[in-house]
Amino acid sequence: MSGELLQLTSVTKSFGAVRALKGVSFNLIAGEIHALLGENGAGKSTLIKVITGAYQPDSGAIQIDGKDVGRLSPAIARNLGIACIYQQPALFPDLSVAENIALRLEPAAAFSRVNWNSRRTRAQQLLERIGAEISPDAEIRSLSMPEQQLVEIACALGSGARIVIMDEPTASLTQKETHLLFAVVRELRKNGVGIIYISHRLEEIFQLADRVTVLRDGESIGTNRVDEMNESSLIKLMVGREISAIYPPSEKAPGEVVFSLKNFSCPGVRNVSLEIRAGEILGLAGLVGAGRTELARAIFGVVPADSGEMFLDGEKIQIQSTQHAVARGIAYVPEDRRRHGVILEMPIAQNMTMAIHRKIFPGTWLRFGAERQMALDYIRDLSIRAFGPDAPGNALSGGNQQKVALARWLATKPKVLILDEPTQGVDVGAKSEIHKIIRSLAKSGLAVLMISSDLPEVLGMSDRIAVMRAGAITAMLPAKSDAHTVMSAALGQKGPSE
Amino acid sequence: MNTDKRTRKDNLFRHEAILLIVLVAEWIFFRAIGRNFGTYDNSCDILRHSCEIGLLALAMTPIILTGGIDLSVGSLLGLCAILFGKLWRDGHLPIPIAALCAIAAGALAGGLNAALITRLRLPPLIVTLGTFSLFRGLAEAITHGLDTFTNFPNSFLFLGQERWLGIPAQAPLFIAIAIFFWLLVHRTTFGRSFRAIGFAPEGARFAGIPAGRRVAMTYVLAGIVSAIAAIIYTARLGQAKADAGNGYELFAITAVVLGGTSIFGGTGSVHGTLLGVAAIAVLQSGIVHALQPSEMAGMLTGALLILALASSVLPKTISSLRARKSALKLAKQNA
Amino acid sequence: MKSYFRELSVAGALAILLLVLAIFAPSFYSPQPLLSLSAGAAGSLVVACGMALVIISRQIDISVGSMFAVCSVCAGLLAAMHWPLALVVAASIFIGAIFGAFNGTLVAGLGLPSIVVTLATMVTWREGLRWLRQGEFVNLPEGIQWFGLSQKSGQWALVIGALGILTLLAFMMKHFSIGRFIYAVGSDAEVARLSGIRPKLTTFLIFVLMGALVGLAAIMNIVQSPQVDPQSGTGLELKVIAAVVVGGVAISGGRGNLWGVFAGLLLLACISPALTHLHIEAYWEKAIQGSIILLAVVAEGLRNQKSSNHG
Repeated sequence: MSGELLQLTSVTKSFGAVRALKGVSFNLIAGEIHALLGENGAGKSTLIKVITGAYQPDSGAIQIDGKDVGRLSPAIARNLGIACIYQQPALFPDLSVAENIALRLEPAAAFSRVNWNSRRTRAQQLLERIGAEISPDAEIRSLSMPEQQLVEIACALGSGARIVIMDEPTASLTQKETHLLFAVVRELRKNGVGIIYISHRLEEIFQLADRVTVLRDGESIGTNRVDEMNESSLIKLMVGREISAIYPPSEKAPGEVVFSLKNFSCPGVRNVSLEIRAGEILGLAGLVGAGRTELARAIFGVVPADSGEMFLDGEKIQIQSTQHAVARGIAYVPEDRRRHGVILEMPIAQNMTMAIHRKIFPGTWLRFGAERQMALDYIRDLSIRAFGPDAPGNALSGGNQQKVALARWLATKPKVLILDEPTQGVDVGAKSEIHKIIRSLAKSGLAVLMISSDLPEVLGMSDRIAVMRAGAITAMLPAKSDAHTVMSAALGQKGPSE
Repeated sequence: MNTDKRTRKDNLFRHEAILLIVLVAEWIFFRAIGRNFGTYDNSCDILRHSCEIGLLALAMTPIILTGGIDLSVGSLLGLCAILFGKLWRDGHLPIPIAALCAIAAGALAGGLNAALITRLRLPPLIVTLGTFSLFRGLAEAITHGLDTFTNFPNSFLFLGQERWLGIPAQAPLFIAIAIFFWLLVHRTTFGRSFRAIGFAPEGARFAGIPAGRRVAMTYVLAGIVSAIAAIIYTARLGQAKADAGNGYELFAITAVVLGGTSIFGGTGSVHGTLLGVAAIAVLQSGIVHALQPSEMAGMLTGALLILALASSVLPKTISSLRARKSALKLAKQNA
Repeated sequence: MKSYFRELSVAGALAILLLVLAIFAPSFYSPQPLLSLSAGAAGSLVVACGMALVIISRQIDISVGSMFAVCSVCAGLLAAMHWPLALVVAASIFIGAIFGAFNGTLVAGLGLPSIVVTLATMVTWREGLRWLRQGEFVNLPEGIQWFGLSQKSGQWALVIGALGILTLLAFMMKHFSIGRFIYAVGSDAEVARLSGIRPKLTTFLIFVLMGALVGLAAIMNIVQSPQVDPQSGTGLELKVIAAVVVGGVAISGGRGNLWGVFAGLLLLACISPALTHLHIEAYWEKAIQGSIILLAVVAEGLRNQKSSNHG
C-alpha cells in the first residue's frame, strides 16, 4: 500500500514576531522513512508539534489519508494514528514495562479486571516485534534511556500508529543500540508505517531514510530521494544563505590566555582541550546533544568534572560548586533562562545582585540603596525595558530577561564569561543589542565562551570557533570560516575543501 | 504597565491589612462579650501565653520560606524542657548552665533534621514527622513517662511569671528574637537566599547560592529557638513535663500561613507571622474569657488554617477554572 | 525484575523478632494473649491499608487518629441509642467517608498540600470531640461487645475480618485497574493525566476510602470493650505511617504493596509486647517508633541516591 499518509500544504506558524514556519509543505507516504533535516531553530520541532496537534497552524491544510482534518488536538492526533517518540519518554518510572504499555493502550476504565497474563503477553509480543531484548516485568526506572525509548516505540506500535515521529532517537545511543533501533525502524516500515525521522547524523540518514526534507529558517528547501543526494549537497541545502546581519567587529588582538582546559571530561564530554584569551570570543558551535551545555555546567561547578585539568590565569583550579566558580571569577549565563537564568518571581534588582551578595552586601546586611543604584545603572547601560528595578522577572520580555541575567553575571566582574544560547528566543532588536554588549565585554578584557546554535551568530561574533560533536571537539576554526565548514564539523563530516 | 508594579506589593499589603483588621475585630468582639478581656493584666497574659508559640512560628517562617516544613518543633520543645529539668535537678547544674545545655541540645536536634534533609535529600515532611515522634519519645523515655521537674527557684520562675519594668519578663527576650528573625529575613542576604530557594531551588543554585547550607541553617535555628521556648515554657508553668509543647506545631504553622507566607515558599514576611501569632493568641484568650471551652480555640485554629490556605489558593483555582471554561467554549466554537 | 527486597527484608526482620521472642520470652506465644493482641491490632491493620494507598498516591493523612476517635464515639452513641449493630457499622463507615471527602476536596480540589490540610483537620476534629464529650466515656449496651459473640469468637471475627479487608484491598491494588491507577498517579501524576487517568478524582476517592476504612476500624475498636474512650486513636497516625514506611511503601509514591505493610505492622505491633516480655520499659515505644520511621526513610533515601548515580 503506497498511499499518502500525511500531507501538509503551505503550513504557517508564528509566535508573536517570530515566524517559525513559513508556508511549509510536506508529505509522508506509507512504508517510507522520511528524514527531516535542519539546523537548530530551522522549524523542525514546530513542524512536529503541528503534526501532533500540540500547535494549531495559522494557515495551511493538513490531510491524513487524503482527508482534511481541520483542527488537530493531541487527542485527535492520537486517534488518527499519529505517535511521537521524544527523547524524554513519558513513562511511569515505578511501574513495569508491561504495565506502562497497558496503561498507554488500554482505555481508562476504572473497574475492569486486570489481566496480567494478557498484559505481559502483549508487551512481550510488541517487544519481540521490534526486537528489543527487554523483559516486560522490568521496572522503567531500571531501564536505560535507550531502552525506555524502545518501550515508547512498542507503545506506538501497539497503538496502531501509522505515522511515527522520532525526534533525535539516537542522540544518546551506542553503536549497538543504534543498530537495534534501525532494525526496529525498518520493521515498522515493513508494516506500512510512515516514519518521520529527525536526526543530525547524516550517516544515519543515508543508511536508513528513503527521502529527506531539509528545513531552513522555517522554510522547506527541498525534498529529495536520499539516493540522489550526498553529504555535501545536503549541507549546502541546510546552510546556504547570505549572512546578512551585521555583527560588531572585534578591534583589538586578543591578549594572554586566561582560561584553558586540558583533557577535560565530565558526563557527556570527553577529553576537551581549549584555550580562551582575554578579549576573545570563542564560539562553541555544535548541534543539540553535542555536549556543550554539559561542558559549561561542569566548568561552572554545577556537576563535578570526571577528569582533566582547568587553568585560570595560569593557575590550576578545581571547581567543586557554583560558589567556587563565582569566587574564582567564572560566570555562566544558563540556557534555560526562565528556570535557571532569572528567578521570575523576584524583582530585577534582586536578581541582579543575587550572585554578588558578598561584595555588595558586606556583613550580609542588605543595602537597598546600593542595590537600586546598581540596578538603575544596568538598566540604563544594557537598555533594559522595564518599569523599574522593582519589576518582577516575569513582567519582562525574553530579551530583557536575558539582559537581567547578563547583568547579574557582569556584576561579579568575572574573568571568564560563559554564555549558553544568549539570544535564544530573543527578538531581533534585543538580539543585536545583546551582541553589542557581548562584544564590548570582550573588549574590556573578558574571556568569553559563547555557546550558540545560531550559525550566523557564531560566525559573526566569534573570533575563533570550536565545534563540538558527541562530547568532543571536532574542529577549531578561524574567524572567517564559512557556514558549510562549521556545519560539516558539527555533523562529523569532512569539510568541502577535503 | 504600572498595575504590575502595584500588584505584588498590593497583595502583600492587602493580606497584612486584612489580618490587622481581623485582629482589631477580634479584640473588639471579645471585649464586648468577655469579662476581663482587654485589660492590661489580660493583655500581659496574652503576651505571656503567646511567647512560646510565637517563637516557634518565628523559627518556622524561614523554613517555610525555603519551601520546607518542620513538624518536630513542638516535640523538641518538650524534649528540651525535660533535658533542662533533668540537668538542673539530677545533674545539679546551675540554671543558666542547664539552659545553655538545653539550647545546645536543641541545636543538635535541629542539626539532625538539617543533615537528613540537606545531605540525604530526604523530604522534610517525613523527616520531621519521624523526629516529631523521636523527640517526644525521648522526652517520655527520659521521664519514664511520668516524671515532672518542679520546684524551680523563684529567680528562674520570674522569667515566666513576673513582670519586669511593667511588661511580662519573657517579653524582652521574645521581642529580641523577633527582631533577630525580622532582620534575618528582611535585611540580610540569608533572607534573600531563603526566598530564592523557595521560588526556584535550582535557579538559586545556578546563582551561586549555597542552598544546602542555607536550608540547614533554618532547621538548626528552629532547634535553638525551640529550646529557648522550652525554657520560657518551663518558667511560665513552673514545671517541665514530657508533654510540653504538645500540638504547638499546628499553631506555629497556622500563624505563619495566616501571616501571608505561602506554604509553597518564596513569599512571606516575619511581621505577617507576628500578626498571625497575635490573631491566634487573642483568639485563644478571648475564647477563655468568653467562658467558652478551650477546645474551641483548637477547633477555630484548625478552621482558620484551612480558610487561610484555601483563600491563598482560591484566586488561582478560580482563574484556572475560568480559563478552562473559555478554552472549552473556544474549542466548541471552532469545531 | 521487580525487586521485593524491601518487603522480604521486613519479613525477615519480623521472623528474627519472632525467633528472639520464642527463645527469650516464650510466654509471648500463649494463645489467648496472642489472640487478644491480634484482635487489638485488627483496626490498625485496616487503617494501615488505607494509609498505604494514600502514601502510594503521593499524599499523606495525619488526621486518621482524630477521625478514628470521632467515628468511635459516634458509633458508641448510636449503639447506646439501641440502633441495630449493622446500622451502627454503616453509620461509622459513612461518617468516616464524609471526613475523608472533606480532606479529599481540599487536597484534590484546591490543590493544597495534604500534610497541612490533614494537620488542620486532625486538630479540628480532635478538639471538637473533646469539647463535645469533655472526656466522657460512652457506655455501650449489652450485645455490642464482641458483636454479641463470645470474646474468643469476637476476636477471631476481628482478625479474620481485618485479614479479609487486607486481602480484598491487596487484590484490588494488583488486579483491578483502579488499583493500578493509584500507582500510576503516585508515580507521575502528569503522565497519568496524559494517559487519560484522572488524578484529581483518584486522589479524592483515595481520601474517601481512607475515611471509610477508619470508620470500619473504629467499629473494630469499640466492640473490644464495654466503653468507648474518646481519647482512642491517639498516635494512630504515627503508628500506621511507621508500619507503611517500614513495609516498603515509598514516601515518593508509586511503589509498595499491602503485604509488606502487613509485615511492617506485625513487626511494629510485636515490638511493644516484646519490650514488655523482654523487660524493657514501655515508655521507649514512641522513641523506637520515631527511630524506625527515620531509619526506613534513610534507607530508602540511600537506595535512591545509589540508583540515581547509576542512572
